[in-house]
Formats: sequence, C-alpha cells, structure tokens
Amino acid sequence: MSSISVSSAVLKGAAHHYGSQCDKANKEFMLCRWEEKDPRKCLNEGKKVNECALNFFRQIKGSCAESFTEYWTCLDYSNLAELRQCRQQQQAFDSCVQDKLGWERPNLGELSKVTKVDTSRPLPENAYHSRPRPEPNPVIEGQLQPAKHGSRLFFWSW
Amino acid sequence: MAASKVKQDMPPPGGYGPVDYKRNLPKRGLSGYSMLAIGVGVMCFGYWRLFKWNRERRRLQIEELEARIALLPLLQAEQDRRQLRMLRENLEEEAVVMKGVPGWKVGENVFHTDRWVAPLTEELFNLRPREELLHKRFGFLWYV
Repeated sequence: MSSISVSSAVLKGAAHHYGSQCDKANKEFMLCRWEEKDPRKCLNEGKKVNECALNFFRQIKGSCAESFTEYWTCLDYSNLAELRQCRQQQQAFDSCVQDKLGWERPNLGELSKVTKVDTSRPLPENAYHSRPRPEPNPVIEGQLQPAKHGSRLFFWSW
Repeated sequence: MAASKVKQDMPPPGGYGPVDYKRNLPKRGLSGYSMLAIGVGVMCFGYWRLFKWNRERRRLQIEELEARIALLPLLQAEQDRRQLRMLRENLEEEAVVMKGVPGWKVGENVFHTDRWVAPLTEELFNLRPREELLHKRFGFLWYV
C-alpha cells in the first residue's frame, strides 16, 4: 500500500477537486473512524481512500500536468500557500480539468455541508466498550409526605 | 536746516495707501454641520469598505478551511497506518527484549478496558533516536 508522496502545496492546490471527486471513500472512512473510534477497524476504508487518492493524482498527471504544476509552484511561493494569490493559474487549471476530465470545482460551502453516508457496515453497539451500567433505583412505593418535624438540617426548623 | 540733498528714507510719493485697521474675520469655509457631515460620511464609507473586505476575507478563509476539510481523510488514514505500523514494530521489539523475563505478557494492555487508547508520542517513538521525537513534537513550530 504505497503512500502519496507529494508536498503540501500540491495537496492544497488539488484539495477542492479531490474533495468533490473522492467524496464517497472519504466520507465512508470518516464515518467509520468516528463511529468505531478505533483505527484498527477502519483499515479497509483507509485503503480505499488511499486508492482513490492515488487514482486521482494519476488522472491529473495523465492530463493537465503542466497547468497543475504551474498552479502548485505558484502556491508554494508564499509561506501560507494562500489561494487568493494564484487565481490566474487556478483558472487555467480549472478550465483544463473541466475540458479534459469533466470535473467541476465545487462552489464555496459545498465541501463543508453535512452529508448522510450510506454504508453497509452496521452501527457498532458500545463503541466505548463501557461496562454495563448499574440498574436504576427501584420505584418508591407509597405516598410521599413532607418530613414530619421539618428539615433535619442544622439550622432550619421548617 | 538747509534743503540738503541727503538720501533719506522717505515715504513714497503720494503717501502710503489706506491701512485697514478694522477687524476682518471673513466668513469662509464650510459650516460646522457640513464638516461634520463630511467627516461622518468619510467614516461611513470607510466602514462600508471594511465590512465588504471582511466578508471577502471570510469567504477566502472558508475556501482555505474547505481545502483542509477535503484533505483530512487522507491525512488521517495515513497517520493511522503509520501509528499502527510503529506500534507493531514496538511490539515486536518488546517481544525480543523481554524474552526471558518471567511473568511478562508481551503487548499487555496497561488499562483495564478494551477500547482503543491513543498512543502517546513518547510511547510510539520510544525506541527511536530522540531527534525523531523532537521533530514530531516541535517540528511544526520550526516552519511557521
């Protein structure tokens, strides 16, 4: 299982397209991770995420490699990799990807929407492996009256 | 005195012009109200531009945060794999090191529960050179 060996500017440049393309695998992995709270149980989904990412970068490399290289070198120039400094190259990369691969860049706010994920994995019961909870107190029989001689606390006599 | 032609500093012929000695405070410039209005207007214009730019900055910030959101699964999966691999290596080392020690169960859970406990950085990097541990803990600060 080879890992993606690219630098941060590359990842940030491709992030929006990656979020819209590899959406399914990503969401399933995150759902699994959050529900099971155990990385050992989510290795399969993690593998699918890796495969999807590799596929994604392979596709970019196959077509649109030059415009992508220009884009991420421009991003790499600044310390924070600000997206707003590289709008021209982003435009070129977007149009190239749209022509050749048919991908559209998601609009603002589409990646941060809350989604429902459809999985075939059942919900784990007791993900926290907690011990069985103690039984609740038994129901009190009979009428409840106020205390006979008032409150038995120190000062109060009512 | 005789009419001597000595060069003296005399007034110009015809005398000086009229000297204005009366007070002269002409009404000029804008009135107070209009100056206030101009000041308030400039401030309002400044605020309006500021709010617009802040909204734009918020949009840019959302864009950058979305880039991070999109990349999180990838980074999380890779980190999980790396952690599990390191734990596996540590377990094997432990089995080798504590071979003859009586009463030692290799990889015994130090907690009384079954759930996944996130490993500490020191625990993961226990058998590696200290430089790696320092890099993991403080490396993020060096590049900021």
